[in-house]
Amino acid sequence: MIDLQSVISDTKVRLCLDCGKCTVVCPVARYDPEFNPRRIVQEVLRQNGRGPIDEKIWSCISCSMCVERCNYNVKFTDFIRFLRYMALEKGTEIQYSHGGAPQTIMHIMAQRDIRQKRLNWLPEDIEISKQCDTAFFVGCAPYFDVLFGDLGVKTGEGSKGALRLLNRAQIPFTLVPNERCCGRDLLLLGDIEGFLALAQANMHEFSRRGIKNIITNCPECYYTLKVDYPKFLENWDINVVHITEVIAPLIEKGQFALGRLEQKATYHDPCTLGRYSRIFDQPRSILASVEGLEVVEMADNREKALCCGASPWAYCGAVNKQIQKERLAQAGATGADILVTACPKCHIHLKCAQKNAENNDVCQIEIQDICDLAAKSLLPQEVS
Amino acid sequence: MYTEVLVFACNWDGWSCIETATALGLHYPASVKVVKVSCLSRVHTGLILKAFQFGADGVMLLGCEQGRCRFGADSEYIINEYEKARSILEMLGMWKGRLVLVRLPAFDGHGFVTQVMKLIAEVEQVSASKRARIADSRLTRGIAVPSHS
Repeated sequence: MIDLQSVISDTKVRLCLDCGKCTVVCPVARYDPEFNPRRIVQEVLRQNGRGPIDEKIWSCISCSMCVERCNYNVKFTDFIRFLRYMALEKGTEIQYSHGGAPQTIMHIMAQRDIRQKRLNWLPEDIEISKQCDTAFFVGCAPYFDVLFGDLGVKTGEGSKGALRLLNRAQIPFTLVPNERCCGRDLLLLGDIEGFLALAQANMHEFSRRGIKNIITNCPECYYTLKVDYPKFLENWDINVVHITEVIAPLIEKGQFALGRLEQKATYHDPCTLGRYSRIFDQPRSILASVEGLEVVEMADNREKALCCGASPWAYCGAVNKQIQKERLAQAGATGADILVTACPKCHIHLKCAQKNAENNDVCQIEIQDICDLAAKSLLPQEVS
Repeated sequence: MYTEVLVFACNWDGWSCIETATALGLHYPASVKVVKVSCLSRVHTGLILKAFQFGADGVMLLGCEQGRCRFGADSEYIINEYEKARSILEMLGMWKGRLVLVRLPAFDGHGFVTQVMKLIAEVEQVSASKRARIADSRLTRGIAVPSHS
């Protein structure tokens, strides 16, 4: 199905000039001198894929900083994904973080006869339309809150916030009780088979329910459904939008207004929403429209935003912790009270770094989801 | 169809119960597989869910009675992981009763067999009713067109 030559042409790695700019901007390479995107590309090309695969491919956090900087837009993250796929084919065992629980949940979800009961978190004040061709894709937030509850993570608040915003903006939507994980983490790990099983199950579920549009608040789900599904699924024709793409235009047109919050916040661009999906302005215009909220930028922002330091629930180690520490320090340096992010995974990874802090050397800034913050700015009686 | 049960038994009181059951010649189905771990605190949500991914119908965590852990703190860890795994099973629609935490005194072979047979009976009952529900929905398909809800 996938061969090295087509991947080489798709990812344009032959255009690699061996200039090393990718390695200069790579956050992993900064803390781990052994990791070198340029060398990985050159080695694979030199041996035409026949040599042993560098173990360092597993250190890549898919933040796309290298793709951003590359003069010829060589898609290094896609290339790494393919190398991982090849490594898995050769029988490499992945070192999962969190005991592999997230991946196991994904594999169980991919099973055909699964009937999830995943809507228990839904508060009563949220109105859901029964017959509607627009679905809100919740993603794995309910699972994350159970798995990472001991870190004090509440990613479900982001989903609730998003639904309240949609209710307030009078945009009808429905929820799909048996939606599966989008499968992004499996795709990033090179487990294409697992990813396809989830993608097909999702497509089947959506077409059965006549869904034409999907709104989601998770950047990972957004990018996967919008960009990766059409690549892998022939009949996928669902229009996917991110919640900030729905709310921000309404605010700009004056059809929707947020409330007031006396706080100082800084916005952390998730890699998948920013560099991958080019959604930089919408979250900022949402934050700017909250009265009384002072928004400050971190040293690295927008295209240059530092990643939260980990991606597909595997190979998390000292290097990842260093990146998280650096990002939190940048947030602390702005003097903000809250670090606002749009991605549940950033939320979890940064919280984890705060929880594991030794000697109190990690900035303990409060972390909040953008939808949660926006919904909380609305007065309670106005929420429903 | 056998009901596959995976038992995570701690090296101490949990394992002694299984050894006693064997020594006494007590009968339990061959579909019960035992994995010996040093202490139940070694077992986490990932491992428990992995057992279900690989086709276990039930999982039993078999350990020392409260306060008798040789390492001192199994309950602190395992209760947390047990609760997490149960919530996830429930969310996946797999019924949380498939996972049980059993604490037995040392050398209680009869206790182990009773508990494992109870788990098998419960899992079989749930699977049977689930099968019946699926069969029902197949029968009515094509006759009535229920709305998606």
